[in-house]
Amino acid sequence: MSKKSWFSNLKCRECGRLYEKEAIHICEFDFGPLEAAYDYEAIRGVLTREVIESRPKSMWRYRELLPIDGDPTVGTQVGFTPLVKSDRLAKKLGIRELWIKNDTVNYPTLSFKDRVVSVALSRARELGFEVVACASTGNLANSVAANAAAAGLKSYVLIPANLEQGKILGSLVYGTNVIGINGPYDQVNRLCSEIAGKYGWGFVNVNLRPYYAEGSKSMGFEIAEQSGWQLPRHTVVPMASGSLLTKIHKAYKEFVDLGLVEVSDFAIHGAQATGCSPISTAFKRATEMVRPVQNPETIAKSLAIGTPADGYYALRSMKETGGSAEDCTDEEIVEGIKLLAEHAGIFAETAGGVTVACAKKLIETGKIPSNESAVLCITGHGLKTQEAIIGKVGEPRVIGPSLREFEALVADEVAIKS
Amino acid sequence: METTRLWLMYPAKLITRPIIHDLGHKFAVTTNVRQASVTDEIGLVCLELSGERGEIKRSIAWMEDLGVKVEPVEINTIEG
Repeated sequence: MSKKSWFSNLKCRECGRLYEKEAIHICEFDFGPLEAAYDYEAIRGVLTREVIESRPKSMWRYRELLPIDGDPTVGTQVGFTPLVKSDRLAKKLGIRELWIKNDTVNYPTLSFKDRVVSVALSRARELGFEVVACASTGNLANSVAANAAAAGLKSYVLIPANLEQGKILGSLVYGTNVIGINGPYDQVNRLCSEIAGKYGWGFVNVNLRPYYAEGSKSMGFEIAEQSGWQLPRHTVVPMASGSLLTKIHKAYKEFVDLGLVEVSDFAIHGAQATGCSPISTAFKRATEMVRPVQNPETIAKSLAIGTPADGYYALRSMKETGGSAEDCTDEEIVEGIKLLAEHAGIFAETAGGVTVACAKKLIETGKIPSNESAVLCITGHGLKTQEAIIGKVGEPRVIGPSLREFEALVADEVAIKS
Repeated sequence: METTRLWLMYPAKLITRPIIHDLGHKFAVTTNVRQASVTDEIGLVCLELSGERGEIKRSIAWMEDLGVKVEPVEINTIEG
């Protein structure tokens, strides 16, 4: 790949002011979020379907549309996860055609966070950071720890001290520095902001956020390419901060603008858990004012962000594309996990259950018409949130080492041929 | 002397109260409003707060006691 950079500036999403490509994330004038801007004219001249198809199957095949200057150095094998057609789940949900974008098998930590972290850490290296950090309750921590370990970067992972043991182990194993912080969420959140401001670290979701967030676009690029260079009519995306949804929207628009896909109607729908649904609630109330949820209560902890930073922008994306928002209860989330596992053979974490359950409602209510086609974004593996389904998927039936006992057990279930 | 950047979210019952004025009188901090949006349902103010670290901490605690939600300007530094 060429060393030329197509990534030109950081740009305020509110006022449009341009900034140098440094480790900054908000506009000094209005505190609006900064995001990456590109030289699209130059990209148009070099990035074709053929060029992309000739490259290795990773998220970096869209390298010109990702915010680094040189070649990627961290997470070079991340992405290009399967887009799976599931006729059985389509039939179950009552839609003509259904596809699953399966990031449960993303490399190396089985969630879409590997996409954002590989961009953030590649950029962190370009900016000269030797220490990287994040504050997380799960998937992001695992991904930063793993990718930093592979890249030889020192890492710190800040977590609320009362986090489940499994999630802590999933970071500790990579040799990262895990620091548990006691206290209410708001105070932990502010402390993390202070630490990010005070130490000269590359904080992936704070001072490296403009780079980090752009990594999510690769999911949208892959969906379009794997759909045969077309945009799906409907895409259902889980929402925590709302960032993934806005970036999939940006990815689709970039592909249209660059002529890589035909112009066609597409709708992007957002999915949340009812126990923490500030964006979906605002959408249903037809307001752009996202009211904070003080005490999120849902088993979908990876989506439980009460004050979503990109909520306003996610609302705008859904409105602009003719999409809609939906939310679902904890029971419906478990049902969604089971539907996906039993009909598509994919074991998703609770956020995946949210996506499936909300898609089901959107189809039932006609917001996704049953004679059309949809893609569901499944963002993390079920092994990460096993506690959510323990006791809800049945138990094994135990017998002695006897053929007679086995035959008695299955006598009503199968026709045994001698 | 430190500077911190915060989003303040006021519930409807506090919208009529001059909280930022009071803040500047009760504590030795300088306030600088950078962006704001107030409706009859909620008030959102982006505030730059400068002063000694202890005064900033006490200012934040006072606002929270009143019922104002105080977030860092990043809003969420903790992700899933």
